[in-house]
Amino acid sequence: MSMNCEDQELLEGFLTEATELLEKVGDDLLALEKTPSDMELLNRIFRSVHTVKGAASFLEFELLVKVTHKTEDVLNRLRKGEVAVNNRIMDVILEALDLVRLLVDDIRKDTIIERPVDGIIIRLESAFAEHDHDSAVAEVTEEMPSPPSPDGSGAPPTEVSRPVADVTKDNAPQETPAAVPQTAINLEVTDKSTIRIDVKRVDDLMNQVGELVLERNRMSHLNSDCLGQTNMDIFADEFAKLVKRISFITSELQMQVLKMRLVPVGNVFRKFPRIVRNMARDLDKQVELKIFGEDTELDRSVVDEIGDPLIHLVRNALDHALESADERLAAGKPRVGCVTLSATHEGNNIIISIKDDGRGMNPEKIAGKALEKGIATEEQLAVMSQKEIFDLIFLPGFSTKEKVSDLSGRGVGMDVVRTNVRKLNGIIEVKSEIGKGSEFILKLPLTLAIIQSLMVEIEDETYSIPLSAVIETLRVKEADFSSVGGREVLRLRKSALPLMRLQQRFGISQQENARDYLYVVVVGIAEKRLGLVVTRLLGQQEVAIKSLGNYLADVPGIAGSTILGDGKVALIVDPAKLIHGGDEEIFRQAS
Amino acid sequence: MAISTNNSIELKEERIQLVSFKIGNEEHGIDVLKVREIIRMSNITRVPNTPLYIEGVINLRGKVIPIISLRMRFNLPDAENDSRTRIIVMDIDNELMGFVVDSVAEVIRIAISEIQPPPPIVVVGIDQECISGVINHADRLLVLLDLEKIFSAEERKSFNDMIQ
Repeated sequence: MSMNCEDQELLEGFLTEATELLEKVGDDLLALEKTPSDMELLNRIFRSVHTVKGAASFLEFELLVKVTHKTEDVLNRLRKGEVAVNNRIMDVILEALDLVRLLVDDIRKDTIIERPVDGIIIRLESAFAEHDHDSAVAEVTEEMPSPPSPDGSGAPPTEVSRPVADVTKDNAPQETPAAVPQTAINLEVTDKSTIRIDVKRVDDLMNQVGELVLERNRMSHLNSDCLGQTNMDIFADEFAKLVKRISFITSELQMQVLKMRLVPVGNVFRKFPRIVRNMARDLDKQVELKIFGEDTELDRSVVDEIGDPLIHLVRNALDHALESADERLAAGKPRVGCVTLSATHEGNNIIISIKDDGRGMNPEKIAGKALEKGIATEEQLAVMSQKEIFDLIFLPGFSTKEKVSDLSGRGVGMDVVRTNVRKLNGIIEVKSEIGKGSEFILKLPLTLAIIQSLMVEIEDETYSIPLSAVIETLRVKEADFSSVGGREVLRLRKSALPLMRLQQRFGISQQENARDYLYVVVVGIAEKRLGLVVTRLLGQQEVAIKSLGNYLADVPGIAGSTILGDGKVALIVDPAKLIHGGDEEIFRQAS
Repeated sequence: MAISTNNSIELKEERIQLVSFKIGNEEHGIDVLKVREIIRMSNITRVPNTPLYIEGVINLRGKVIPIISLRMRFNLPDAENDSRTRIIVMDIDNELMGFVVDSVAEVIRIAISEIQPPPPIVVVGIDQECISGVINHADRLLVLLDLEKIFSAEERKSFNDMIQ
């Protein structure tokens, strides 16, 4: 199908509208499950699917029309009250929705393939078949409640759903339950090429630009005025004022443009009710998911990357942490387990927390596993604090689950989670109490492009160290350094701080002058500390990170570059890489 | 600038423009269409732990780009920069990069038919890969370079494998 301009526009319009509608339908369906008699919801869902069908029909996307048509049929019967909403029907509709999303995605990627839709079609058609033909099952179906229990549990009482599910298995080809979450999750949270921005934000930006234009005019004026001037004082005075105003306006502009890239974290969080619902069913557990702080905003690039780690953490909570309903009752806990997902701002960071009230982590069990897998030795474990033991779970190859289930237990996840969080310049911490529950806390910076930095000199070269990683700075004499196991350390209060001479690490040629004093910049990530030895401290400065390009992206120890006031390029040090750069040994020996 | 062996007569007469520059005693030419700009030497910020032929990075009107020394890349002996040293900024693989050369001469126009295939060993040190031909121009031998090929595929993935 050759595309002309208009067709292309139509297609793009369709894609945007369809994606939006389908997202809303997804949310509404889950809400419907909790309040199945909400007619308005049902009608809205029906209308949305109807709209997508209409557009698809107009653009001649046959597969899409087929599936949406059948889905619409089911929804229509539901809204006419012929059948009450129940879990089985919800399952089928949700599956159909996933397939529709997948088809739309295919269209977007221009890879239209013949997806196997017949399975879903049959199941949609037979969604009511049992109802119509088999009254016994129908009775069970109708009796089976999905009424909201007082605390809004999204999972059905497990005893009743079993027989119904079995009947379905006989009649239609069944895809594995695990397949359903997969398709839902692979879809992207944000459309990478466009953003929605509040008009107010654009207006604010325009105002700010207007201010900038005024200052620019004043600057030109000042320039032409002073061309004939001999009195530098007046010029200097005016210039100073100009600098102040332009600095202010630039900062405002900066904040505003940054704000445009912000996206509410709710975009990621909205995937979770579905995931939790499906997993709870599969694991035969009762779970309630609470979400707070969906309006908290973060940069879209962070939003894209944070989805996977969060999914893994939630899966872990459901799979490992939460006990079955019986176990919980025996432990004196409420039947329904609770997972809380929340996000807040704290300074220049966003804090995302995943909390569960499950069995908590057992440090002895973890230590035992670490020993078994050869990750740590007895001596090392003996001196570890509980926090350090909990940190072991983030090491590759670690998993305390005996059976490798489909969902987790391969020992890959936590390691990848931490790597992903680090990639975003964030940190992840875990708190836990046996019997009570655990909490995973992710701390991520809000802005990736501009950072507060400590400018330092190493011999005659200028470098920037991100202030977020700097704990303190010290002025020391070289004589104060000692050596432990071949590595230089500094006695700092009660402990030994491992040192790294950046002049050596970066191969900078040493100047002749012997120096009385050196400066040590103590950087830290989570619990680890490293002292970077530099020649001189220059001061604090806000810098814009400039990428070094694809070719120089992986230079060890360097995170990027920035352009200084004098136009020169200064490199930005990557403290995380320096701390973790395979130099784990330093920390073992120094403590 | 690969030379196709299926040139029609028209193509053979087609003219291309080359920027000619010197490194040491050799004169080279590159397709002018690939050249973004030619600038004087400026302050190069060294980047640690990179191959020797990467001199560092510079600030090109707000963009930070890597600078490569063709002398070192071609394993020629080191030399001082002087007032004629230039940086040729090119678009390689969708990345802007600068190449340090001793001097830039002129832009010359040649017909594709004038390009001869490179002899087996042209100059010591230069990767055979990036030589796309030679030209006899006004009694000088001009070696045509295709700088897109200056880095092999693995090098392109990570410069730093060299160091490890």
